[in-house]
Amino acid sequence: MELNKYLLGLFLFLLVASCQNKTKEWTYQKTINLESTTPIGLTVIDNHIWVADGDNNQLVHLDDSGKVLFTEEGFERPMHIATDGKSIYVPEYGKDQITIFSGEERKILPLTDSLDAPAGIHYANEQFAIADFYNHRILFGNERGWISFGKEGKADGEFYYPTDVHIANNKIYVADAYNNRIQVFDTEGNHKMTIGEKDNMNAATGIYVSSSQVFITDFENDRVLVYDMEGVLAQEISEGLEKPTDILINDDVLYIANYKGRNLKTYLQN
Amino acid sequence: MKNLIIIIIISVLAFTISSNSLYGQSDRDQIEVQVDGLGCPFCAYGLEKKFKEFKGIKDVKIEMETGQFNFSYPSEKGMTLEQVESQVDKAGYTAVTTKIIRADGTIEESKQNITELTDESTIVSKDIFVAGNCGMCKARIEKTAKSIEGVVKAEWDKDNKMLKLEYDSSQTSIGEVSESIAKAGHDTKYSKAEDGVYNDLPGCCQYERVQ
Repeated sequence: MELNKYLLGLFLFLLVASCQNKTKEWTYQKTINLESTTPIGLTVIDNHIWVADGDNNQLVHLDDSGKVLFTEEGFERPMHIATDGKSIYVPEYGKDQITIFSGEERKILPLTDSLDAPAGIHYANEQFAIADFYNHRILFGNERGWISFGKEGKADGEFYYPTDVHIANNKIYVADAYNNRIQVFDTEGNHKMTIGEKDNMNAATGIYVSSSQVFITDFENDRVLVYDMEGVLAQEISEGLEKPTDILINDDVLYIANYKGRNLKTYLQN
Repeated sequence: MKNLIIIIIISVLAFTISSNSLYGQSDRDQIEVQVDGLGCPFCAYGLEKKFKEFKGIKDVKIEMETGQFNFSYPSEKGMTLEQVESQVDKAGYTAVTTKIIRADGTIEESKQNITELTDESTIVSKDIFVAGNCGMCKARIEKTAKSIEGVVKAEWDKDNKMLKLEYDSSQTSIGEVSESIAKAGHDTKYSKAEDGVYNDLPGCCQYERVQ
């Protein structure tokens, strides 16, 4: 009798524990068609999504429903963009510069070193991280000073064409595109972790980090891989994706920039 | 009579001006390159960036879907087919066809290998394994195979990694084709690429080596 009670208790404990540990999955919600826009990078200001349209050299501003409000032309191959809530920071791949776009005004982000095809930028805690594609390195800092880390290679701390960055939890997450992996660094540029090395990615091009998950676009394999913060694969999103390039979460909605599909796919967690 | 001469002069001038605007700037060559495997925007924009090293380049247009890459260049600089193809190679791509329309209207085109069959010819069909990853690999593998005299057909399948070959066994052999493909950086069932050549392949082409 005592044994039965013990077994029942153990069963209930395991059941509750397994329910608590089960990660909620992202499920498809809708497609926002962008017509001729080829989305490469995403950012959001006041619930309005901005899309970097690389092929058409412009930024596209969407309303809450995804309708195009207006476009801003004259950027040279804008890539993975970022914001501080007021301005948009645009890596211009073809011009080797970061342009600060604030409505009418455009300025160049002052740097102490030259870039060769900047492919991604992120801003958090008053600091920037920049993926410097052809120099195979990351720049991190602000007007008070910059550090640079990484060089061409396959070892930990080395890159092969980094395309995107994200600052979160006092760490810098890098989409190390053609090494087909994610690398994580502290703010001094020390390598801390590698994610996804064994998941057969082919061009890890866009990265986003939430409070509990790391998202990476696996461009050539038409999928997005979702990891927990320890680097364990939690979910693979692939249905309807054609060459995804970036990810963004806004107001609990996950947006995926679907480059070849010329649309944004949205997902909810349940 | 005087009026007639004036009318003729004005007509000739008008025709000259309209001809120039119709055919673009008359002092510029038009270059058209068919590049295979332009699937990734990062690499495609990289191709465009590499060509910006040629000062004076203008009217750059890339169609990623079709692989068509066009631009214009000052005629007096005399860009050659070899310069264009070498720059495409430097960006990690393969120029399938290259055409230069000179400002004076003459056309130069890259030569395509056309195998000529003889009475001795025996066509053999064979499928061989060739390692690779992407559209850029496909372009490189097929172009290498087709450049060998005796090869009639070469089609590589990205999914199953098999190269469908048709060749004239009196002119070439599976060994020769295999060796050439390995020299271009791709392991085959019969030949292995040198490490240095493999390492020079673009990132997306660095397939898992054949053991």
